[in-house]
Amino acid sequence: MLKVAIVGCGKIADAHASQIQRLKGCEIVGVYDREPLMAKQFYERFSVKRYFDDLTGLLSDARPDVVHVTTPPQSHFAIARFCLERGCHVYVEKPFTVDEAEAQSLVELATERRLKLTVGHDDQFSHVARRMRALVQSGYLGGPPVHMESHYCYDLGRDGYARTLLADRRHWVRNLPGKLLHNVISHGLARIAEFLTSDSPQVIAYGFVSPFLKRLNEDAIVDELRVIIAEEERTTAYFTFSSQMRPSIHQFRVYGPKGGLILDQDHETLIRLRPGRFKSYLEKFVPPVILAEQHLENLLRNVKTFLARDFQMKSGMKYLIDAFYRSIIQDGPVPIPYREILLTARMMDAIFAQLATSRCVVDAELRT
Amino acid sequence: MDNKDFIVGPDDPILVTGASGFIGPRVVEALLHRGFRNLRCFVRPSSRPSRIEALNAYGRDGARIDLVEGDLLCPEDCTRASKDVMVVFHLAAGTGEASFPDAFMNSVVTTRNLLDACLQHRCLSRFVNISSFAVYTNIRAPRWRLLDESCPIEGRPELRGDAYCFAKVKQEQILTDYGKRLGIPYVIVRPGSVYGPGHDGIPGRVGINTFGVFLHLGGFNTIPFTYVNNCAEAIVLAGLKKGVDGEAFNVVDDDLPSSRRFLRLYKENVRRFTSIYVPHAVSYALCYLWEKYSSRSQGQLPPVFNRRRWHSQWKKTRYSNEKVKARLGWTPQVPTAEGLRRYFQSCVDMGRHA
Repeated sequence: MLKVAIVGCGKIADAHASQIQRLKGCEIVGVYDREPLMAKQFYERFSVKRYFDDLTGLLSDARPDVVHVTTPPQSHFAIARFCLERGCHVYVEKPFTVDEAEAQSLVELATERRLKLTVGHDDQFSHVARRMRALVQSGYLGGPPVHMESHYCYDLGRDGYARTLLADRRHWVRNLPGKLLHNVISHGLARIAEFLTSDSPQVIAYGFVSPFLKRLNEDAIVDELRVIIAEEERTTAYFTFSSQMRPSIHQFRVYGPKGGLILDQDHETLIRLRPGRFKSYLEKFVPPVILAEQHLENLLRNVKTFLARDFQMKSGMKYLIDAFYRSIIQDGPVPIPYREILLTARMMDAIFAQLATSRCVVDAELRT
Repeated sequence: MDNKDFIVGPDDPILVTGASGFIGPRVVEALLHRGFRNLRCFVRPSSRPSRIEALNAYGRDGARIDLVEGDLLCPEDCTRASKDVMVVFHLAAGTGEASFPDAFMNSVVTTRNLLDACLQHRCLSRFVNISSFAVYTNIRAPRWRLLDESCPIEGRPELRGDAYCFAKVKQEQILTDYGKRLGIPYVIVRPGSVYGPGHDGIPGRVGINTFGVFLHLGGFNTIPFTYVNNCAEAIVLAGLKKGVDGEAFNVVDDDLPSSRRFLRLYKENVRRFTSIYVPHAVSYALCYLWEKYSSRSQGQLPPVFNRRRWHSQWKKTRYSNEKVKARLGWTPQVPTAEGLRRYFQSCVDMGRHA
């Protein structure tokens, strides 16, 4: 029985506990939050064995094999390092760390101690994402990706949510180098990182504060971002983050030399794009029928998954956790390669550095 | 009522948290109306500017209104807000949050912080905690049971599938614990369904709009309405009246309408829409099936509909306001007919509908 502990008892910890409890062969032996009341409420709702108000106590008394770190990102590095130093495997919620240097340090420590690490990019393990990965691995694209497009939108929603975040000058999101972007974009960037082969692709970023936020007197939180990623005249990618475009999509498109795929995370659909063309007007009539057939196939698959009771909103997390635990038990490869974790962190660093530079230029221009 | 019946004088400092919310401004108004001139209003930085302006406006008539901006999750802010305060009206709470941790943090951790801050200053005469009818369980009660302050509190609030209920039960628990262990003098006020201008929407006890069509679940049930000004008056009395420490008070108005009557009046006065009546036996069966499926599917459907919720919200129940009338001398100043008229007019004026 794998012994699991959770550090941080906020909203995302609920999702972790729900998915861990769906798995066989593991149990949550303890939870910790620096706010004891939060740890206690979690313990009561999830029938966890024990709760702790200090991390050392959790690790020494509950003696977990794996620790899930579900605290705000600024504390990920220190907590994950502490757990690794005490011999625990660690699952860190996204974003993995604040920057690449911290990520590198954790990976080195885990490797040195022969422990496993993973990051909470659970969208990459949803039913549809796993189907896409299987198709790519089977050679559907006909070679390495030529181009990718990742859209990751974030609906600030009703005025109320934005106002709370904007008015709270102490909100932890504000203290991240990339602020709102830092807490959200890793899901969308990780999809691109999965298919890049270079360790240091070129990154060109352009970001700005949307008119919506400006109307609310916000000028520090960038909520519109466009990025071009290129690796030495081979694969290219566009990444789009937007709080304002509608529909607020979460899509990934990947095009190879012989075919393409469109993954829609919101609808859990995967569409295959074939390169061939039909003659004359048939090109106008046959492809829509093929696409309709594929959408119907997606519908039936989703219904089947629902009826099989495996369509939880966070089912991707279950598959990621399961794969991570198996890698620990069997001492096999981790579900998300470290190279991918580091590459995502590196691209994020590059994006935030460029946004900071362009911001300095704008500020200087305003001053003159 | 004479002010000599009160535990504090007109110049003693009084703190109102959630002062810019729905009930808070009416509490401030009611306190001013009773001659209390030293009020501290705790507001979140995210409060609507118009509501802050309205609170500031109260200070123009000679009363001292101190606006304290902060976050009750920050102990320093709590210490600052509660300094020298003799009565705390704690209205701030996490409302409308679907997540249990968020609701808990914004209702329970905040309350604990405020209680700790009050203990530091050692001058508190009373802590008034605003709770809710959501804390009551109805699961073993017969139909048409009279719900009053002696009724049991939900023992397993985590099973209600309602983050608000969970947070409110836990908030009451921490308050009573502080009362017993540390001697904090407190009163709990549990309003029914608070309505009035500025608060659009049809209470869940009447029905739900979750599935794209309005499902009328209340039928002939009585809806435990309390008009916002009446509720504020009861809260103020609960904070001031001598000899009620450690008590809980339910607040509902007189002449309560049935769910069916309320819905008919809403449609006549605000807007017409299609609603489907779901008989109680059917709604109970649906809640039962949802609960079972949610459990069997390991949460594929969230457990938001279940038998505990049905018993609490849609079972035929009667409500009593005898205690609040007898012990606090409260009477609803705004009759239900007038309250509903003002509410419907406000819905029309706001141009927003449920």
